[in-house]
Amino acid sequence: MVPRRDLVKGSSSSLLLSLIEQQPMYGYQIVKELAARSQGYFKFKEGTLYPALHRLEKSGLITGRWQLLPNGRQRRYYYITARGQAKLVLEKSQWHDFLTAVKLILQPGPSGS
Amino acid sequence: MTPELIQYLESIKHNARLEDADETDVMSELEAHIEDKVKELTESGLTAEEALKTCLGEMGGTRLVARQIYEACSQGSWKQTLLTSLPHLLFGLLFALNWWHYPGWLSIVLLLILATTVYGWWHGKPTWVFSWLGYTLLPVLAVGLILPYLPRVWSFLALLIYFPMALWWLFHIIIQTNKRDWIFSSLMLLPLPVIIGWFLAVSSSGRFTEYSLQLLDYFAPWIGLSFIVLALTIAAFIRLRQRWLRVGLLATSGLLTVTLIVHYTIGRLNTFTFFGLILVMWGVLLVPALLEHYLKSGRKITLRRRHTAASTSQ
Repeated sequence: MVPRRDLVKGSSSSLLLSLIEQQPMYGYQIVKELAARSQGYFKFKEGTLYPALHRLEKSGLITGRWQLLPNGRQRRYYYITARGQAKLVLEKSQWHDFLTAVKLILQPGPSGS
Repeated sequence: MTPELIQYLESIKHNARLEDADETDVMSELEAHIEDKVKELTESGLTAEEALKTCLGEMGGTRLVARQIYEACSQGSWKQTLLTSLPHLLFGLLFALNWWHYPGWLSIVLLLILATTVYGWWHGKPTWVFSWLGYTLLPVLAVGLILPYLPRVWSFLALLIYFPMALWWLFHIIIQTNKRDWIFSSLMLLPLPVIIGWFLAVSSSGRFTEYSLQLLDYFAPWIGLSFIVLALTIAAFIRLRQRWLRVGLLATSGLLTVTLIVHYTIGRLNTFTFFGLILVMWGVLLVPALLEHYLKSGRKITLRRRHTAASTSQ
């Protein structure tokens, strides 16, 4: 059986791009959104989120900008780039095909009976 | 900030070994994240101490986080790759194309190396500067080679002064470079076994004669090749993300270039010299790492003594 950690690792770039595409987010917000939307499935060591974000940024898929909040604190918001959007479209389609294929195996139809 | 948090962030900062520009962003982000999380946990009813402990536990171990940050940020761009391998490439071409005969070319290459190193050193010591820095040690080496030509007594006295000063200068540069990362000291010293190897091959007595120049001319293509191998090594080094692969690459390349020198200088270098060169190569790799370890232990002991002194005086 594939460990959950490997599943999360393999899908992390798609998950992060997908969240950031919906709205620009900062690190802590991303952790909370991932945990909330997946009902706690995607929980990982929070410090390891930033290396993943920086890897995406180095690849030009997202870009980070510091923003000053009204309370004087600064947060680094991540925005998806055009390249990131193109990559996300491709990854979504790959995930769709993968999930369809897995479903076909796990829930055999009339041809399998 | 509590001492526990400072220690956590300092440990990540030390192990991630980032460039200044990246370091500020990464550390500020982690700090902001921890502040948000601790605030949320204290609002949910935990004490400040419990909140910080829970938060750091959920952030992950400092070594894991630092390693992942290193792997995310360490890979250089293609521009950086070219800039870092350029001094080796220039030296390689100097010999491969026989430009070393012309003092004009030699001066241009040395001036370019010096100017680029000074520029990089004063502009935040980017990764690419360390391979250039290694070649700025050449004038120091050249002075050492000139000294045996002085009259006997003067030569002895000059060498007596030269060796401690040259060693002091070398260690000073290594310590400065180690402040960024010991692996860059190894990167800087990488040409050392190659230069020593070729020097011994053309002039085993330590003096340059007409015959040495003939040998230099004969070996020039292979000297060029060995520097081009270094340039390729550095290019791969910059593109690799994993630290252990980088160390492995430096060790393999050192072994390869030393073997190449011994192979192409048939009869000029014996087995004893080969092992001596291997020893120099391992020194290049291990001395900066050991020096960093030693300095780190020294810093820890000083801090502990200060801490003990402060607690006893209270």
